Amino acid sequence: MVSTSKAYNSFEVTQIQFDRIADILNLDAATRDLLRVPMREYHFSIPVHMDDGRVNVFRGFRIQHNDARGPCKGGIRFHPQETVDTVRALAMLMTWKCAVVDIPLGGSKGGVICDPHNLSAREQELICRGWVRQVARNVGPTIDVPAPDVMTTPQHMLWMLDEWEAIHGEKGPGFITGKPVGSGGSLGRTEATGFGLIFTLREALRELGVKVSDTLASVQGFGNVAQYAVRLYRQLGGTVIGVSSWDQVDKVSYFFRKLDGVDPDTLLKITDRFGGIDKDKARGEGYEVLPGDAWIEQEVDVLVPAALENQINGDTVPRIHQRVKVLAEGANGPTTPDADTVLRDRGMFVIPDFLGNAGGVTCSYFEQVQSNTNYYWDKDEVLGKLDLKMTSAFLAVSELARREKLFMRDAAYVIAVSRVAKACKDRGWV
Amino acid sequence: MTKGPVDQIVETLRERAKELHCLYNVHEAVNRPGASQDEVCRALVEAIPPGWQYPTVCWARITLEHAIYEPPRAVPTPWVLRAEIVVAAEAVGAVEVFYTRQMPKADEGPFLKEERRLVNTIAESLGHYVMHRRLQSAASSWQAANESLPTAERAGWWVIIEFLRKTDHQLLSRISRRMINYLCWNGIPDAMALLERFASNVREDSLDENRPLERKSLEYLLALTDDAFRIAAENLSEPEIVTCIEKWIKDDKSGFLIKAVENPGTSLTEITDALARYEQTTITDHDLSRAVQIGLRVSLARRFFADDLDFVNAAKQYLDVRDFHELSGRVIAPPSSRGKLGGKAAGLFLAAQIVRKSTEYADALSGLKIPRTWYLTSDALLDFVEHNHLEDLYNRKYLEIDQIRREYPHIVHIFKNSTFSAEIARGLAAALDEFDERPLIVRSSSLLEDRPGAAFSGKYKSLFLANRGTKGERLAALTDAIAEVYASLFGPDPIEYRAERGLLDLHEEMGVMIQEVVGTHVGHYYLPAFAGVAFSTNEFRWSARITRRDGLLRLVPGLGTRAVDRVSDDYPILIAPGQPGLRVNVTTDEIIRYSPSKVDLIDLDTRRFETVELDALLREVGWEFPAIELIVSKLDEDGVRGPVGFGWDPAHEHGVVTFEGLIERTPFISQMRALLRLLEERLGTPVDLEFASDGKDFYLLQCRSQSSGDVAAPTPIPRDVPDERVIFSANRYVSNGSVRDITHIVYVDPESYRQLPDVSSLREVGRVIGRLNSLLPKRQFVLMGPGRWGSRGDITLGVNVTYSDVNNTAMLIEMAARHGSYVPELSFGTHFFQDLVESSIRYLPLFPGDPHVVFNEHFLRESPSILGDLLPEYAWLSDTVRVIDVPRTADGHVLRILLNADLDEAIGMLAAPAGPVVGAASEPRRELSQAVDEHWRWRLRMAERIAAEIDAPRFGVLAMYVFGSTKNATAGPASDIDLIVHLRGTPDQRAAMETWLDGWSRCLSEMNYLRTGARTDGLLDVHIITDEDIAGRSSYAVKVGAVTDPARLLARYQ
Repeated sequence: MVSTSKAYNSFEVTQIQFDRIADILNLDAATRDLLRVPMREYHFSIPVHMDDGRVNVFRGFRIQHNDARGPCKGGIRFHPQETVDTVRALAMLMTWKCAVVDIPLGGSKGGVICDPHNLSAREQELICRGWVRQVARNVGPTIDVPAPDVMTTPQHMLWMLDEWEAIHGEKGPGFITGKPVGSGGSLGRTEATGFGLIFTLREALRELGVKVSDTLASVQGFGNVAQYAVRLYRQLGGTVIGVSSWDQVDKVSYFFRKLDGVDPDTLLKITDRFGGIDKDKARGEGYEVLPGDAWIEQEVDVLVPAALENQINGDTVPRIHQRVKVLAEGANGPTTPDADTVLRDRGMFVIPDFLGNAGGVTCSYFEQVQSNTNYYWDKDEVLGKLDLKMTSAFLAVSELARREKLFMRDAAYVIAVSRVAKACKDRGWV
Repeated sequence: MTKGPVDQIVETLRERAKELHCLYNVHEAVNRPGASQDEVCRALVEAIPPGWQYPTVCWARITLEHAIYEPPRAVPTPWVLRAEIVVAAEAVGAVEVFYTRQMPKADEGPFLKEERRLVNTIAESLGHYVMHRRLQSAASSWQAANESLPTAERAGWWVIIEFLRKTDHQLLSRISRRMINYLCWNGIPDAMALLERFASNVREDSLDENRPLERKSLEYLLALTDDAFRIAAENLSEPEIVTCIEKWIKDDKSGFLIKAVENPGTSLTEITDALARYEQTTITDHDLSRAVQIGLRVSLARRFFADDLDFVNAAKQYLDVRDFHELSGRVIAPPSSRGKLGGKAAGLFLAAQIVRKSTEYADALSGLKIPRTWYLTSDALLDFVEHNHLEDLYNRKYLEIDQIRREYPHIVHIFKNSTFSAEIARGLAAALDEFDERPLIVRSSSLLEDRPGAAFSGKYKSLFLANRGTKGERLAALTDAIAEVYASLFGPDPIEYRAERGLLDLHEEMGVMIQEVVGTHVGHYYLPAFAGVAFSTNEFRWSARITRRDGLLRLVPGLGTRAVDRVSDDYPILIAPGQPGLRVNVTTDEIIRYSPSKVDLIDLDTRRFETVELDALLREVGWEFPAIELIVSKLDEDGVRGPVGFGWDPAHEHGVVTFEGLIERTPFISQMRALLRLLEERLGTPVDLEFASDGKDFYLLQCRSQSSGDVAAPTPIPRDVPDERVIFSANRYVSNGSVRDITHIVYVDPESYRQLPDVSSLREVGRVIGRLNSLLPKRQFVLMGPGRWGSRGDITLGVNVTYSDVNNTAMLIEMAARHGSYVPELSFGTHFFQDLVESSIRYLPLFPGDPHVVFNEHFLRESPSILGDLLPEYAWLSDTVRVIDVPRTADGHVLRILLNADLDEAIGMLAAPAGPVVGAASEPRRELSQAVDEHWRWRLRMAERIAAEIDAPRFGVLAMYVFGSTKNATAGPASDIDLIVHLRGTPDQRAAMETWLDGWSRCLSEMNYLRTGARTDGLLDVHIITDEDIAGRSSYAVKVGAVTDPARLLARYQ
């Protein structure tokens, strides 16, 4: 693990961000001290008997940032260059993310330094089980609930659950989320992020006094999030004039535009399994095929970046059309800080990523609830509850933004940090 | 009344009945127990005439060992049918049948061809009879000898000699001679003296004029026998003598076969007959002496396959005579053929026999099959050419390539409208009878193909045939396909390829293999469950845990064509059989993205080879897809969920090809591993296999040496490179090959990269790389940088790029620069590993901190960087991203990277461009680079011509420049010619000039097509600049007098 003072350090960046919010909230020193760093860190070694008979020792960890609001929640990453600082930063972000949608969970993150590309399935299973053995007493449905993350899958989660249950001698499906449907997983997870984004967009437009049916939107991406976002937005009466997608053959992305509205069902028929749209067939269906970055300069009311990081940056932000009123961030970190400043000055209404795409973590919470009660809801119930959660989360943030004249992104942070600070205080910690 | 057809048939049948009756009587006579030779012969003289057409005027005479048997008052006439009685290859008499007067003419004089057969059969029966009598008497005298002689003096083997003395003089003399030789080789003086006597005897005789010497020397040799075996008895042990005699007798029995294969004049048909006869004898290979065994195998291998020494060497160890007999039954050859079956046929046949005869992997490989194959010999092509009077074709290869290209479509047309000779057509019809209606592949098996260094991969055609319809239709389709494969021999691409490798003057002949396509019927489709290629050494390792010895499989569902060729829009599944658990693709996204999405198959309705979308196919045929549970994994919102099984509904649920079931639930991987190991060990070289499975059985389709592929050849590493010319070296995880003529190095300095202040600067580095990737000449630059390229993790440890940011590089070099005690783990390109593989971008990890490696940091860090000139807006990153123009920095040298996996060594060194490699040039390469040179030279010449021809005052042209690949001497067959025209004229003048240049562009494009076969839409890429451009250094004016890669002023304006 390398970190030099000059090098970029994501944990420091997250701390600086926190300090700014703490200043706005005028938090006392003790609360700041408590929230700036994780409450608990577990670092351990996982010896694994490899297929070739050698024993490799892997480094694993679990960082629990704060559990004042409830059991910790956060993913487990397998990555060869994992650094503790990255994981610390991500654990802190989990605390804020759970708080902004007001679910009763704290934040954590964990991982193992390894590259699954170098490991057989059996070796990966041993790592999963070894990880659980090391922290079995420090994680659990009422303590800390892991989930899949970078390079971990539902399969990994089931191995971990199995090991946890074996150690504790009881069933505990609420120990972990991201399980397959039928093995303790929740319905509605596929739709959750895309739908969650549109629930907040619907409320944003309502606040702006614009009818959804009068709006046009341009979407970057045609993956899982974008597909369900487009679907729900259309159901609400809105018109999506185009989506972009990556072309596997040409190694570039294209923007597929149809000014009278794209039909996700038509597009899905000509879309491959990873969201690539067949450009020739799309032309046949009456779509214009434009360069991939054309999505940002469309004359629309809503922009939905739902693909990659850093898409709205200093270079691209001037190309955003004057008509655009709302930026609904479906992807993680689609906007760079310099672009953010421009948007703020323009008075753009931004639904920040960690509120906009919180449908995913909310659904994980629902999975945990269902697992703990061992009673599973039907999809409509999941999505109905999701709507409720997302809507009230949005309203709280936007109300704060209006009241305190904050930029939406800041308002979301402020509300999250203040909720966690309050829980700490109420418990008499600080 | 004339005879009706029925009467004729009745008459014929009556004749046959007479013959059979006669034969029966002959048989009766020779088998009568206790009858003397006299009695038998007399009986025969009586029994023969009734078998003939005109018995009343017929009489027979038998001459046997000086005795003559004939009816009284017999007078010989000219109307005679004669057959010799042969015993132990010696004529001992004859059977003659006479007509007393002239009778109507029939097949052989007045005799029928059936009567010829009859007399031959009688003579043969008599021969057997005589032999039998001799053996009987020899056997009794053997007994007598045994009883009468003391064993010390006369050992058991002496009886064999006695026996032969009575029955087969010729064999005895040959054995005596071999005994003398054998004794001499053992250095026994008496035997040497004996040999001299023998030799002088022969010499004396041969000095004599044309007097027959056979009889005398034979007698003399018989006399020598006693001496020879007396010496043998004194010097050799009894078992040794017996073993020798036994082997020699059996060798002698196979003599006819040796004679047939050793004589270069024997036709393949005759060899086939000899093989059949050998098959009838009960001799097995092991009965023969080792020398004869090997000799036979070598000769057969050379006659059937190739003279290539490596091949013959392996063949003599693993192919036995019976294998060739089996093979010969499926060889189609013109009469008196002296052709061969070619490299592809040889490789597969040899591999099949090695597998069949191996014992150590017998369990794993017992089920391995070879598809039924028929072979067309190489001279069937000559036969085809002669039959259709196409002889003119042969010298076409010496024509200019453009003429060859122009004429090629006509050649194909002519070939497809030509016919095969009757013998070949008959052979093909027989093959079709055996194949029935199973689809076929017609593959070339050229005599030059698959030679080391000249793989000819895909140069000659392979054609799939649905093989449906009436026999006539199927035969027509088959001959059509063979004609097309033949025509491909005269195609421009193979001829050019041969010319480049100096193989043009070799006489190219091509065998053809007609092979059953492995597969099953699925609806109206025909396809194998899966197929692929296997390499015994892995040149594309994606993990440090995988070694070269772990091998590599490329697997696809359906026909293997998609695994053999690199297709830009699809991916095969890669598996290292030695490490099947380590997958290239691990996350759900990777697994889906890099899984095969299309299937090649034969559509039996359209009778065509087709490519279809896998998803659509699965929806259509669903569970009918063979072995689908081994190939496809279930895909749902929770990811890839293991092999499909009960309850999976292909019409509505998704599947993704993973081969998980095949890997986890079948012995396939261990079989492949065993197969690769076995063939590599036995052939003594890494191998490259093609295979397929119909879902039940596993078939081997092709086997050749892996080094015959151009990419995979290990490159010799020169040892005498001066230190200052080495940029880097490596001694871990090196693959094979070479990357030459690198003009630019993009070097991301690890130290400076880590010191960048924030994450957005780090991301900018990725962006710069992407920009450079599109600016620098394709495949002529390498990317070097720290850690994991394309990593999605901590950006500080690897440059943040996607595949499209690096897709033009020739090589990606990841450096694991030691930092304190920590060495960053490298990605082995895993983030876009398969993209790199499919586009042949090489990957090399460097460990600069390792002992015994060179890392010329000085060159990389101190050479002038041209980043600021190329991308002024990124000048602020010039400490981090350094772009080194190698020829400008190093006196016109270029970077050359040589990789040798056998040594696990690589070197990056400065070398003269396009010249021979220091101490390591191979002939074909040099010729290739000359051919490559041709492209830019021609383009420069044309550019100069245009500059000379252009009416400068009319158009207002002030100057013309050339730049890009033409100027840089890197143009390929499809490159355009980049021109800059400095213009000071009116819009009308400009339009006129553009029209004028457009004419040139089109003409040059056509000329270029004829030269190279590369189709382009106009060959000129003209950029017009004005005075303002030059003043403002805008547009292409920056190229004029530029720092890097400036445009070159054409001669007229200098």
